[in-house]
Amino acid sequence: MKRLKVLLVDDEIMIREGFKRLFDWESHDCEVVGEAADGMEALAQIDTLRPDLVIMDINIPIMNGLKVIQVSRMKHPDMAFVIVSGYDDFSYCREALRLQITDYILKPVDYEEFGHCIDNLKISLFEKQLTQEEELETEERPIAAITRYLQEHLAEDISLNILSEEFHLNAQYISQLFKSEIGVGFLTYLTGIRMEKAKKLLLSTSLSVAEISERAGYSDYRVFTKFFKKHEGCTPSQFRRDFLDHNK
Amino acid sequence: MIRMEIALFLVLVFIGIVYFMSERRPTPLHKTFSRLLIVMPIHLALDGITIWTVNRLDIVPRLLNDTIHRFFVVTMVLIFYLFYQYIAILVEEETGKPRKLDKMAKLFLILAEIAELLLPIHYAITPQGNYSDGILVNVTYFSVGFYMILGIGLLLGNWKQIEVKKRMTISLALIVELSGSMIQSYHPTWLLSGMGLTLMTLAFYLVLENPALLRAELMEQKMSMLYLKSQVNLHFLYNTLGAIRIQAQLNGDKEVADLLMRLVDFFRMSIKVDRPVVEVEDELEMLEAYLDLMCYRYPELEVGIDVEPGLESAQVPNFILQPLVENSLLHGLKNKGYKGMVRILARKLSDRDFEICVEDTGSGFAPGKKEAIDSMLRNYAKQAPKLTGNSIGLLNVQKRIKLLCGEEYGLSYRENEEGGVTARLLLPLTINTSKNQ
Repeated sequence: MKRLKVLLVDDEIMIREGFKRLFDWESHDCEVVGEAADGMEALAQIDTLRPDLVIMDINIPIMNGLKVIQVSRMKHPDMAFVIVSGYDDFSYCREALRLQITDYILKPVDYEEFGHCIDNLKISLFEKQLTQEEELETEERPIAAITRYLQEHLAEDISLNILSEEFHLNAQYISQLFKSEIGVGFLTYLTGIRMEKAKKLLLSTSLSVAEISERAGYSDYRVFTKFFKKHEGCTPSQFRRDFLDHNK
Repeated sequence: MIRMEIALFLVLVFIGIVYFMSERRPTPLHKTFSRLLIVMPIHLALDGITIWTVNRLDIVPRLLNDTIHRFFVVTMVLIFYLFYQYIAILVEEETGKPRKLDKMAKLFLILAEIAELLLPIHYAITPQGNYSDGILVNVTYFSVGFYMILGIGLLLGNWKQIEVKKRMTISLALIVELSGSMIQSYHPTWLLSGMGLTLMTLAFYLVLENPALLRAELMEQKMSMLYLKSQVNLHFLYNTLGAIRIQAQLNGDKEVADLLMRLVDFFRMSIKVDRPVVEVEDELEMLEAYLDLMCYRYPELEVGIDVEPGLESAQVPNFILQPLVENSLLHGLKNKGYKGMVRILARKLSDRDFEICVEDTGSGFAPGKKEAIDSMLRNYAKQAPKLTGNSIGLLNVQKRIKLLCGEEYGLSYRENEEGGVTARLLLPLTINTSKNQ
């Protein structure tokens, strides 16, 4: 797992300073390589620095954040974008989703929670890499086999010990593997894919929250709701309702 | 005479069109007036037709004549019943006293209408013109008198509590109608009843039901919702607080940063007025932000929240819990130096409704205060903006629950045995179905 290069785009210096100094980039294997305060500057920085991740405010001078993403997408299809916006407004969010951004977070940013965002990004980068490998039909690496197993068994009780028996590998070694190959711990990865599954089910089915929690591997739906809220900033039912409300 | 009936008919149809085209709140008063506006033109049409048919007893078949006549008196009694109902609802709105005579008035209506349909009709034939008389007509006069006496009684009994303009209109209309009916009973061929009825309806329309007034009522309601929204430029508030928070955190002051975060959370949630109905958990989320901040300011404050599982996704009008808790803190616990407990309890009462109670261990009501609040909450519809401070918050909670959930739901207060007060919200149990299928 290589170190991720991050570009910060926001017209308020305080917000950029906050990101730079309050979030522990080092421990998430990231590095802030540059900053930009308006749309034009952002475009220039993106081209010269080639960051892996751009943290982007929408409401910035000269050219708005969504436009910058749209333009940059064409040149750098693999670049990841996280939108940070003070606009509690779903119309932006929907446009942002069309641009296939990695995440959408609202100001004020909780820097401790921002780690989730980076973890999600790493998981999605890893999954992208896996599909490329599959297309090339190279031999399946152990981590690929393990994550495939997790995807298939996420409704069950899973632990490092169970994985260790299944794959005849040392639990310690598997844990190391997650860190080195994906950049996140085993539990973070598991929670991440479980939440993805839950979100998918919330939006694509009419199953009750209790049923979804079961399918996503949480036997107690209250525990699930707590996790979900911590992860997504809202409860599962709010998540579903917000989406349904705005799609009417 | 027929020409007058046609003119009156046209006037009422015109009023009806204007009335039904204008937006209004669905209150019982306006609903009663709508019914009146439907029955009146029918009655006037029947009035006109009977004037014609009753003077041509020789050509119009008896059965046809009788039928039209019966419907004419049936609608007449119905109109007087609606007049009475209208006055009763108006008096209730003005005074806050519940209507007591409703059942009797309804029962009388049924009996009178049965009588009107069954009793024999007799026609008096005179050189000035023909008219009906006998027992059927006496029942009609009696019913008219009955409802008018009820109406006059209500009006006089609550004279002082009714706004001058309204009581003058109603009494004038009643005097016109009363004299009309008297003259009519002495001179049956003068046929004045239609005119009296129209004047009375017109009086209600002009003073209490005209479109400008209805629009003002609606506007007032919308404005009070928008008021909060226009208070401050929200983005300015969020962004500034956000920047200050980051500065605090950069300076190493995590506590201040967290408090500012809670403050921003509270503002963001409380100004989401664009969604009038939310879920209990949305309300609790906002309440928690508010209570976190209050507990920080007053460390001896204790808070307990206990919600029966399953009620988290029940639907409630937004912004109904925070004003109650604020009231408990500012009027109950403040007097005890903010030392004590606030508990929020939500539980199911039946499959149809549930309650949320806000209990405090504060100083309780000052003498006479409970009565004042009870009466304010009972007469919620008629409270002028003269109210100050926190009672506006309570009143608003009451108004919105009544408006969005129905008359049978709402807010009430009681004193706890061990001191302090409990605010109780009775709410209908509707769970957002989109996720519970």
